[in-house]
Amino acid sequence: MMWYPVFYREMLLFKKKILKFGYVFSSLLFPMIYLFAFGMGFGREIRIGDASYIEFLLPGIVAMTSMTNSFNLVSNALSMGRLYFKSFQVIRQSPISPMSIMSGIVLSGIVRGFTAAAVIVIVGGVIFGVMPFTLLSLAGLTLNLVLFSSMGVVVGMLTKDPEDNALYTNFFIMPMAFFSGTFFPIDRLPSLAKGIVMLLPLSYTNILMRSKEITATEILSIAALVIFSLAIFLFGARLIRNYSE
Amino acid sequence: MIRVKGLTKYYGNKCAVDSVSFEISRGEVFGLLGPNGAGKTTIIKMLTTLSRPDSGDIRFNDIDAVGNPDGIKRLIGVVPQDRNFDRELSVYENMLVYGMLYGIKDLQNKIGKTLALLGMYDERHSCIDVLSGGMQRRLLIARALLPGPEILFMDEPTIGLDPQIRRDIWDIVRDIRDRGTTVFLTTHYMEEAEAMCDRIGILSKGKLITVDTPAALKESVGAYVVEVQNNNGRLNRVICSSRHEAMEIAGKSGNGAVIRRVNLEDAFIKLTGETIER
Repeated sequence: MMWYPVFYREMLLFKKKILKFGYVFSSLLFPMIYLFAFGMGFGREIRIGDASYIEFLLPGIVAMTSMTNSFNLVSNALSMGRLYFKSFQVIRQSPISPMSIMSGIVLSGIVRGFTAAAVIVIVGGVIFGVMPFTLLSLAGLTLNLVLFSSMGVVVGMLTKDPEDNALYTNFFIMPMAFFSGTFFPIDRLPSLAKGIVMLLPLSYTNILMRSKEITATEILSIAALVIFSLAIFLFGARLIRNYSE
Repeated sequence: MIRVKGLTKYYGNKCAVDSVSFEISRGEVFGLLGPNGAGKTTIIKMLTTLSRPDSGDIRFNDIDAVGNPDGIKRLIGVVPQDRNFDRELSVYENMLVYGMLYGIKDLQNKIGKTLALLGMYDERHSCIDVLSGGMQRRLLIARALLPGPEILFMDEPTIGLDPQIRRDIWDIVRDIRDRGTTVFLTTHYMEEAEAMCDRIGILSKGKLITVDTPAALKESVGAYVVEVQNNNGRLNRVICSSRHEAMEIAGKSGNGAVIRRVNLEDAFIKLTGETIER
């Protein structure tokens, strides 16, 4: 439980921010726009397999929201805390182990990302009347949150200027959001593009988000997300351990 | 209590700290005096596990602080130069989180006592941003004292504070020392170093020039100073070993020469060839 003070601090800060308009707005604006624009534009007209487009779209938007929120909120908070407010140094100088610091921050990213994803799920259910989720969706969402919160720590530790976070978002996170099966099925891509997309972890999350039963594809997706998450988590903990000014 | 040997740190090709060695005894107030950029903050960061030295040895009560930084974290408290609070949280919440990081038992009670000790109990529910600079500095000290450290590190504890509040902080540091805590501080204020420190290390361009008591440092360069204004309006200082010598030099210099005792600034200038901007 050594991670708990770090997690508790993050939750105190989250509680103070969550009701601020700007915070909610920046976290949910784009997912909401995508959901309403594509959902209302194509929602019931287009079918993908045996599902309506909104049933296909909603899990993708939930995955994307969880990714952007866990990644952005963790990387921004950490880079600002490290480079500007110097609050990370307080934690680093305390007797909490690097692994516990990593766990506390990642858990806070999970809560932040899950909260944003839950809002999208509720809006999708209430406005569009769909709830196309299974326990596999929950597993995919959880692994996605671990992975991108960990990635947020890695970026937050490596960045030399908080403004550089936008670079990671623009050149890595946003393309991944669009090409990893959020808005259209990956199997419609040319084979080369599909091969590249399958290197992106969000692709596996999107597979799980829409899965109804466990097959080899789901097992492969879970394995891929676990391996990605573990590797990035351990790398983040190592960056914290080796932190030196 | 603390033994530092050959401490060296480079940033790129620039040597920020150059083979610095010193020892600090239990219960003393030890100060590092030097101008901005001398390497004071880099040394304090290395001593408090935030920066890894490129070479050298740091031992706290024989614990190797470089090889085993986690081994010393419960011994030390840090008052950084930056007011690195969580600004969205209240005074109490900042203390609470800090206490939890150190696994302190009976935390609520200890927070109350520590805030009361620093005269901040009535501010416990205040937001950080409404506190004055002096109060924020007190809170930094309170936070660092909460786990009951054996050694308190203070990086420029009175920088940016007005003279009265600076003196209040000096009183607090003396009180901390009287309670048995060893204090290591950095400063570029001569009067602060002289007023607070049992011993002073003079740092210049990353090198530790000398370590001694304020009185011994002054004695090492002379006894009296003759200040004479030259034709360009600049003040020339001549350090003399005796009053007799000072009187002679003043007599030759004509009217306007002032004789006074050597102060720490004279010693600093003589030892380093540098001046410190006030």
